[in-house]
Amino acid sequence: MTRDEIITLVNNVFVEQFELEPSELLPEKHLFEDLGLDSLDIVDMLVELHKTFGIALRQNEEVRSVRTLNDIYDFLERYAAEHPDQIRESGL
Amino acid sequence: MKSVVITGCGVVSPLGVTRQELFQRLLAGECALKAMPDWKVNGSTGEIIAAQCLLQQDAIRSLDRKLRRSMAPVALFAALAAKDAVAEAGLSAEFLSSGDVGCAIGSTLGSPSAIAESFRIFDSIGLDALPAQQFFKSVSHTAAFNVTNLLALKGETLAPCSACASGLQAIGIAYDQIRLGRQTAMIAGGADEATPAVYATFEQLFALAHPADGLAPKQIQRPFDKDRTGLAISEGAGIFLLEEKEHALNRGANILMEIRGFATNSSGAQTSQSDADAISKCLSNALSDASLSASDIDYISAHATGTRQGDAAEAEAIRRIFGAAVPISSLKGQLGHTLGASGPIELAATLEMARTSTLLPTANLLNVDEECAAIDHLTAPRNRRPQNIVKDCFAFGGINTVLVGEIPF
Repeated sequence: MTRDEIITLVNNVFVEQFELEPSELLPEKHLFEDLGLDSLDIVDMLVELHKTFGIALRQNEEVRSVRTLNDIYDFLERYAAEHPDQIRESGL
Repeated sequence: MKSVVITGCGVVSPLGVTRQELFQRLLAGECALKAMPDWKVNGSTGEIIAAQCLLQQDAIRSLDRKLRRSMAPVALFAALAAKDAVAEAGLSAEFLSSGDVGCAIGSTLGSPSAIAESFRIFDSIGLDALPAQQFFKSVSHTAAFNVTNLLALKGETLAPCSACASGLQAIGIAYDQIRLGRQTAMIAGGADEATPAVYATFEQLFALAHPADGLAPKQIQRPFDKDRTGLAISEGAGIFLLEEKEHALNRGANILMEIRGFATNSSGAQTSQSDADAISKCLSNALSDASLSASDIDYISAHATGTRQGDAAEAEAIRRIFGAAVPISSLKGQLGHTLGASGPIELAATLEMARTSTLLPTANLLNVDEECAAIDHLTAPRNRRPQNIVKDCFAFGGINTVLVGEIPF
């Protein structure tokens, strides 16, 4: 999965789940401060990323450090490189 | 004790999203019940008949996402109705958030659809797929707390769960809070959802009407009729703005109804059946609380769902207390049984009956059952302006609730 594919899928989650405009989804945007998410949204973000990419994230320590959209893209890109057999579109 | 009035009313029902629309569609003879081909209930035979609310996406989207995300349909119905009630009452945001305004909204058990979805996720996938909001959508007080947050209320939040008496009990509890001086105003009412699981619950108890003899969906629920076979489930919300009377008068608010009395009691014995003795006592208690006698009442909005035993018990109690002197009707033949929302929704329709001087009849009441006889059944609209009204609701668990209101001319 390429970085562009990851960005598209992650942004779809933010548009669908959090009703954000695609134009708002710039990589440097902070999830809380810029995009208006809160701690409950983060749980739902993990659920939706799980559904989208097929990877269980609730217990993943690394994902807890994401702060911006770019952090999410980076995390998933790394994860895809390290676990190419695990990550996939429409995981569920 | 302080006097309490209603100054705002909101309705979400399968026959309209204002009380005016609801009344007009009832008067026109419309029925909300229809076949539900998409509902699957294992073990159930025959066609499933129910009623559902159709909401406009614009109305749903008008609620902020962070407020809406914890709302399953039960809370959404309540929220949209509450918005309308507050708008009609014309209260300021500042007053709503003063701490003097609370909320009492009842439902049978929160959101049955969200609860079912929770267990589907638990059983099929597990925690990784469980949304953060699933619990908040499900809980018994989901309608109440969501409305509290929607309106930024800072007073009491109460959520009586007494099945089909929930909404009317909530209004009674809210009435108590204001007349005792604990709150100046309360958002109060009930909401419930119709789902396959709710259908299955009533079906298992043989409480549902079935079109066994070829009746159309609109004909199957027949309160007080000798051929009644049961009820059909429905859904919605009825929410009122209750306000201390002097406060309402001082600000020049339009008073829709004064709440004169309220009572709720229990049979102390029954789980699924109504008890005429306990209902009679509840009616007497409510009249006493209102300082009114039976002869003062102009209209009774019945609970009557169309079950054999329930309608007979209610009719017996009405006969004992009122004789045949007071017009009575049940709206459930057209609305279906909106469960915990039924009391408030039917009360909202009653407000319109008063405004238009038109008492609505019981639909599908073609032949009054002998057990339900000797009371003044409305079988056609009647031109009469009710001033003092009674609304009653009875619920699984042997719970009875009666509200007495005075609608000003």
